[in-house]
Amino acid sequence: MPDLRSSPIRILIVDDHPVVLAGLTSMLSTQPDFDVVGSASGGEEALEMLRTRTTDILLLDLRMPGMNGVDTLLAIRAERIHVRAIILTSFETDEDIYRSVQAGAQGYLLKGAPQSDMVEAIHTVHAGRRYLPRHIAARLAERIMRTELTARELEVLHMLARGLTNKEIGNALLISGNTVRNHVNSIIEKLEVSDRTEAATTAIQRGIIEVPT
Amino acid sequence: MRITSSMRRGVLIGGGAFIAAAVGLIGWRAFVRNPIGAHFYQDSFVRGKAEEWTALGGTWELMNGLMRNDSDERGAKLITGSPRWRNYSVEADLSLLGQGDAGLIIRSGREEEGVDAYSGYYAGIRTIDDSLVLGRAEHGWREVTKKASIPGGIQPFARYHLKLLAYDCQIVAAITSASRPSPESIAITDPDCVPSGRVGLRSYRSGGTWSNVIVRPVDHDDLMAMLSNETDRGVRAPGIPPPSNSAFAPLAPLPALRPNVHVESIESLRLAYLARPAEATIRGVVILNAPMLFVQDSTGGVYVTQHQSPALKVGDEVEVTGMVRPGEFSSVIDNANIRVLWEGIPVAPVAVTAPQASTGKFDATFIEVQGRLSAKERGPENTLILDLEEAGQSFRAIMNPGRSAYVFDRLKIGSRVSLRGICVVDPAITNNLTPFVLLLRSSEDVNVLAGPPWWSTGHVLAMLAAILLLGVVSVFVFQRVENWRLRAVLDERERLAHEMHDTLAQSFAGIGFQLQAIRNNLPEREATIHQQLELASNLVRHSHEEARRSIAMLRPQSLESEDLLSALDLHARRLVEGGSVRVVSEKTGEARSIPLRVADTLFRVGQESIANSLRHANPSVLKIRLQYDENSASLQVEDDGTGFIPEDISQGFGIRGMRRRAQTVSATFHLNSTPGEGTRIEVTAPLPPRLTFATWPKFLSKYLMESWIHARPSKLSNSHSYRG
Repeated sequence: MPDLRSSPIRILIVDDHPVVLAGLTSMLSTQPDFDVVGSASGGEEALEMLRTRTTDILLLDLRMPGMNGVDTLLAIRAERIHVRAIILTSFETDEDIYRSVQAGAQGYLLKGAPQSDMVEAIHTVHAGRRYLPRHIAARLAERIMRTELTARELEVLHMLARGLTNKEIGNALLISGNTVRNHVNSIIEKLEVSDRTEAATTAIQRGIIEVPT
Repeated sequence: MRITSSMRRGVLIGGGAFIAAAVGLIGWRAFVRNPIGAHFYQDSFVRGKAEEWTALGGTWELMNGLMRNDSDERGAKLITGSPRWRNYSVEADLSLLGQGDAGLIIRSGREEEGVDAYSGYYAGIRTIDDSLVLGRAEHGWREVTKKASIPGGIQPFARYHLKLLAYDCQIVAAITSASRPSPESIAITDPDCVPSGRVGLRSYRSGGTWSNVIVRPVDHDDLMAMLSNETDRGVRAPGIPPPSNSAFAPLAPLPALRPNVHVESIESLRLAYLARPAEATIRGVVILNAPMLFVQDSTGGVYVTQHQSPALKVGDEVEVTGMVRPGEFSSVIDNANIRVLWEGIPVAPVAVTAPQASTGKFDATFIEVQGRLSAKERGPENTLILDLEEAGQSFRAIMNPGRSAYVFDRLKIGSRVSLRGICVVDPAITNNLTPFVLLLRSSEDVNVLAGPPWWSTGHVLAMLAAILLLGVVSVFVFQRVENWRLRAVLDERERLAHEMHDTLAQSFAGIGFQLQAIRNNLPEREATIHQQLELASNLVRHSHEEARRSIAMLRPQSLESEDLLSALDLHARRLVEGGSVRVVSEKTGEARSIPLRVADTLFRVGQESIANSLRHANPSVLKIRLQYDENSASLQVEDDGTGFIPEDISQGFGIRGMRRRAQTVSATFHLNSTPGEGTRIEVTAPLPPRLTFATWPKFLSKYLMESWIHARPSKLSNSHSYRG
C-alpha cells in the first residue's frame, strides 16, 4: 500500500449506467484514502466537472451514448486537463484496449474485477505507473504486433527512405512494381500515414529505420 | 427486416421501371411500325411495298406502280389504316379492268371476306349503269346511286379520280376524269353513322387498279367545299338499291362468236399435233396472266406465248388461236391471237398431292397442293422461291415480288402451307431441280396451315438454355436471400449482445460494487452477515461472468476475413489465458470456402464445446481439428479431461443446443465421452460441391432439391436457437 494517506485520492467516476455509478460510488467511498469527488453519466458532463474540480483519477466507461470513453480521453488531452484515466469496462475487444491506450488511458480494468484489484489499480495509476492486467497486456501486445512491419516491408521501407521509386525497388528486390506498390500501401496503412514521404519520415522518427547515409 | 424491406422496395422499383419501359417500347414500336399511325397516309404504290395493307379476297398485287386486283370476285377488299380515324378523306386514281364496279371504302370496321362483309361506307364507279355509287355496308348493303354524266359513261381501263370524305355523319363522294374535270358528286347524311374506321380499296365483279392513294384529315370547311360542288342534292339518306343494281344485271352485249371456227379441246392438242405443228384454236379460262400466260379448259391447261392482247385478267374466258407446239405433258401455243369472250369467275383449283402433281398429269393446270416449307430464297429478277416438301416429294413455288415479299418474309421455315398455282413441269422452269414448279398468282395463294413445330432444334435448345438460366438465377437469388437472412440474424445477435451488455452485465457489476460497499462498512464482528455477503458477491460475480460469456457468444465473429479454425483457436487461447491448458489446432484436407451459415454454426458449436471442456472437464490438452473433405467439413474438439457418461448428460441444455444448431445446416453431431479419458465431439457439415464445368448441372439439381427440403425446417430451428 502506497503511503499517500495524508491526502486522499480524488476520484471522478464516469458511467452511463446508474446502477454501476451508484455501486462504484458506494464501494469506493468506503475506502479511507479515496475521495469520490463526483460521478458523471456521460463524457460531456465529465469534462464539465474536470474543468472545475481537481481530480486525480478518472474511472471511465468505454461505451456510452454520445461521447464515448475514447472520445472523452481525446477531449481531455486536447484541453490539457491533468488527470490519470483508468478504463473500467465490462467487455473488451483488442481494438478497444488498443484505442484507449493510444488515447492515453493509464489503466484498464474489467467491471467484474474484485475490489482488491480495483483499489490496487487506482493506487498504481495514481503513483504514475500503468496498470494493465496480464491478459489484457498480452492482447494489447498482440494488437500492436499486427501493425508491425514484415521483413519485406522493412526492406521496402529502407529503400523508400533512400528515395527510390517503386520500379527501382522492384528491380533491386526482383519483384514486380505492383508488388512493391502493395507493400508500400501496406506500410502506409500500418504506420497510419498519408503518403510515402510521410511514411519515411515517421519511420525514421520512431526509430523503425535509421537515417539513410 | 431493414434489408428485406429495402430489397422489396428495390424489386418493386425495378419491376415498375421494367414494366414502364416495356410498355413504352411496345407503344413506340406500334407507333413506328404502323406507317399510318398519324392521321395522314399516302401511297403511290411506286415503292413496290405495301405490307401495311390487308387483303380480304381477290388477288391483290403490285404491278408497275399500281395496286392491282385481277380477280372478278364479288367484293374483294384491301384494307389499311387505323380503326380510330374519324373525320378524313380518302382519294385515289382508279380504273376498272372489266365490267363491274370499283372504288374506295371509308370508316371500315369488322371486315371479313365476303361481298358486303364489313361495316363502313363505299363509293365506287359502275360500268353497268354508268353510275357513281355511294352507300353503307353493314354486312349488308344500302346505297344511293347516281348516274354520272360523264361523256361516254364509265369505261373499263379509263382512269378516274375518286374522292370520298366523311365528316361527322355526312359522307360525300366525288369523281373526276380527264374527260370531265369538274367533279360529279353525291352525298348522304346517315343519322346513325359509323363513327370511325379504316380505309380500303374494293372491287366488285371486276378487277381494278388503284394508285396515288391519299388519306388526310378534314374539317368542316373541307366538307362544305366538297358539298358546294355537289350536283345532286336530292338524296339525303341511303335507301334500297334500285333493281338495276342487282349482281345479275345484264352485261354488255357479247362479241359475236364465230361459228365457223373449229375449236379443239386443250388435251387433244398434245396428241393431234404431235407429228405436224399447225395452227389451232382453243377456248378456255385465263388461270395466270403474269409472268406467263396460261389458259385452261376442262381437259387441261396450255402455255400461251407471244400473245397480242390487251390486259387479260385471271378468269377471263378467251379464244386462243396460234401455232401448237406439243410438249411432253402439255402443249404450248405460240404466236397466239387472243380474243376475250367473256369475263368469268376464276377456275377453282384442283386439290392434289405433291406426288400426284409430280407425275406431270397436272402440267399447266391450276392446282392446290400442301407442303412443308423447307427453305426460301430470292431467285433471279427478284422472284421469290419457296422450297417445299410433301410425302418425300420436294417441289418449288415461285412468287412474283411486290406485295408477296411481305408474306414471303414472314413465312417461317418448317411451316405447313397450302399453295394454289399453276403446276409446271417444263425443265426450262424447273431446271430439273424438282419434278414440278408451282407458279403462284399472288400472295393470297399462300395459306399458312400451321406454323413450324415448337420442338425444332433451335427452340428446344433455346428452351433448355432458358431453363438452365432460370435455374442458375434462382439458385443465385436463393443464395442471396439466404445470406441476407443470415445477415439479419447476425445483426439481431449483435443488437442483442449490445442490449445485454448495456443492461444485464452493467447491473451485475453495479450490484457487485454495492455489495462490496456494504461489506466494507460492516463491522468485523458480524461474521455471519459477512459470510452471506461474500456468497452474494460471488453469486453476482458468477452471474456477471455468465452474462459476459453469453454476450461473447452472441457477438458475430468476423468469420469472413478470419478463417474458422484460427477464430476457434483464438477463442480457446483467450479462455485458457494464464492457465495450464495447451491448445492444439490443426487443419487437414484442402481448405476451401465454407458457406457463411455453415461456418457460423461450426463456430458456435466449437465455442460451446470448448467452453464446456474448460468449465467442466479440467483438461490439460485441448485439440481442435478442422477437416475438409470432398463434400463436407468436419470440426472435432477433443480434450483429455475427466469425461462423463454421455447417457447421463446428453439431454443437458448445452449438448442439446449444439445438436440442434448442427441440425440447422444438416450437419451430424457426435459426442464420445468416457469418464477419466476425456471427451470428443465431432460435427460434420455437408458442403456444396465445388462448382466446375463438369459438376455444376449435378450440383444445380441437388442444391435445388435440398433447398426445398431444408427451407422450412431450418427456419423453425433457427428461431429456437436464438433463445439460448
